[in-house]
Amino acid sequence: MTAPRPAPFVERDSAIWWDAVARHELHCARCDDCGAWRWPVRALCARCGSLAWSSTPVSGRGTVASWVVNRHDFGGAVPSPSTVVLVRLAEQDDLLMPGAWSGPADGAGLAVDLPVAVGFLDVPAVDDTPGFTLCTWRSA
Amino acid sequence: MSDDTFLRDRTAIVGVGRTGYSRDSGVSTLTLALRAIRAALDDAGLALTDVDGVACHRVGDSVQATLVAQSLGIADLRYHLDLFGGGSQSNWVVGSAALAVATGAAECVVCWRAVNARSEFRMGGTGRGAPDTLEFQYQAPYWFATPPQQFAMYGRAYLERFGVTAEDLGRVAIAQRAFAVDNERAVMRTPLSMDEYLGSRPVVDPLRLFDCCLETDAAVAVVVTSAARARDLARTPVLIAGATCGGGTTLFSNGHGDLTRSGAAGMAPRLYAQAGLTPADVDVAELYDAFTPLVLLQLEDYGFAPRGEAAAFVADGATARGGALPVNTHGGHLSEGYVHGLNHVAEAVDQLRGDAGVRQTPGARVALTTGQPGYVAGTTSALLLQTAA
Repeated sequence: MTAPRPAPFVERDSAIWWDAVARHELHCARCDDCGAWRWPVRALCARCGSLAWSSTPVSGRGTVASWVVNRHDFGGAVPSPSTVVLVRLAEQDDLLMPGAWSGPADGAGLAVDLPVAVGFLDVPAVDDTPGFTLCTWRSA
Repeated sequence: MSDDTFLRDRTAIVGVGRTGYSRDSGVSTLTLALRAIRAALDDAGLALTDVDGVACHRVGDSVQATLVAQSLGIADLRYHLDLFGGGSQSNWVVGSAALAVATGAAECVVCWRAVNARSEFRMGGTGRGAPDTLEFQYQAPYWFATPPQQFAMYGRAYLERFGVTAEDLGRVAIAQRAFAVDNERAVMRTPLSMDEYLGSRPVVDPLRLFDCCLETDAAVAVVVTSAARARDLARTPVLIAGATCGGGTTLFSNGHGDLTRSGAAGMAPRLYAQAGLTPADVDVAELYDAFTPLVLLQLEDYGFAPRGEAAAFVADGATARGGALPVNTHGGHLSEGYVHGLNHVAEAVDQLRGDAGVRQTPGARVALTTGQPGYVAGTTSALLLQTAA
């Protein structure tokens, strides 16, 4: 039996991002004044100090910054093997986002700087836990 | 520009105390803390009534600082600090105590870390609910939340960038185990071979079991007071030459695009300047080693090895006994036990007092101790300690 994915703990700042992902859209926060991107959502632009921002679609393209392959099941909480990627989004060098890897479970073929594109994984509701959507990345 | 050089040598660590290290202490974290603090005060030759400040760090896994203060019977608590965070904060607990003493806010502050990290609360949420940090929502659904996973993510980027091999990581673990063999407190006292290292169970690639620290039940405490008062006490004072926190950006805050450098790289020059020391002055280093890649990274970020050359530095024997810079002379978190940075501070004090027995670095006068270097948590902290000339 595969370990269930823990549901995200959505809070007031992050709800707008999770809502976009649920619509199969990848957004980041973008400063209305200086145009800098940031993720996760924060109320303030650390570059210019502006409080004005918009949840803005990104291209869904990026490169692999790093990845890990789970080889231990952490008490049944994690499938083994399973791979998690850290993607550097094309829009800005310091936009780094973890996600699922749609390739082989053992991460074969992954390399730093591999071009990737986003997809979406709808996790169905289980018992009392409502469904949710995650980002998954493929070679592009 | 602020000037923090006023702190240099104004304060001292005058006592260290430890409980035993075990897989199940059988007692509360409050009891562990009180035992370590009592031992540290005994070591310093101080009484409970001398203590007017308390400081610790924790992540919801240990007793609160003010309850410890009550239990010590402090009726007028002049300074207290209960810092949220793991190992990245460890040296700043001591650094903050030094600031409090140097400014006159307090006269004698006890600092500790007390955890039942094996029998009660394992770091990163296995065996309990996920930590209540905002960033976990972006990690846990991907089966990516525990410290070995997070550090493997950063470690991979460093390994790939500089061609660091499994054998390179193995040499870090083996060198530290060799120290632990001669440390009666250490949890792991059997020599480690490269074959055993390479054959150890994979946890999360690129980390194996022996790349990971030992979750331990233990407490370690140190006592900080003024350098002036320290001179009147029984033990050789270990002066706090420099104490800094730094870093701030991380994987989950923009501004940290390079995964192969930590927050310590930006902080280290400020630490050395505060202390009036250079990397060449450091005789022994106790580097935060929750996982082996952190040791290589810090050898570079604290200026001991050029970028990308830490693995060669270790392979040359520089960090082993008799090397140019013995590292983690107690065995570190990998082999002595995991007391979240405070056991590194205690070991540095032992080394500078000449109390380290067969593990003693001959003539050690200056020691560097570090917190987790800013991976994951963003912030980091470190101390430069020295004995009087």
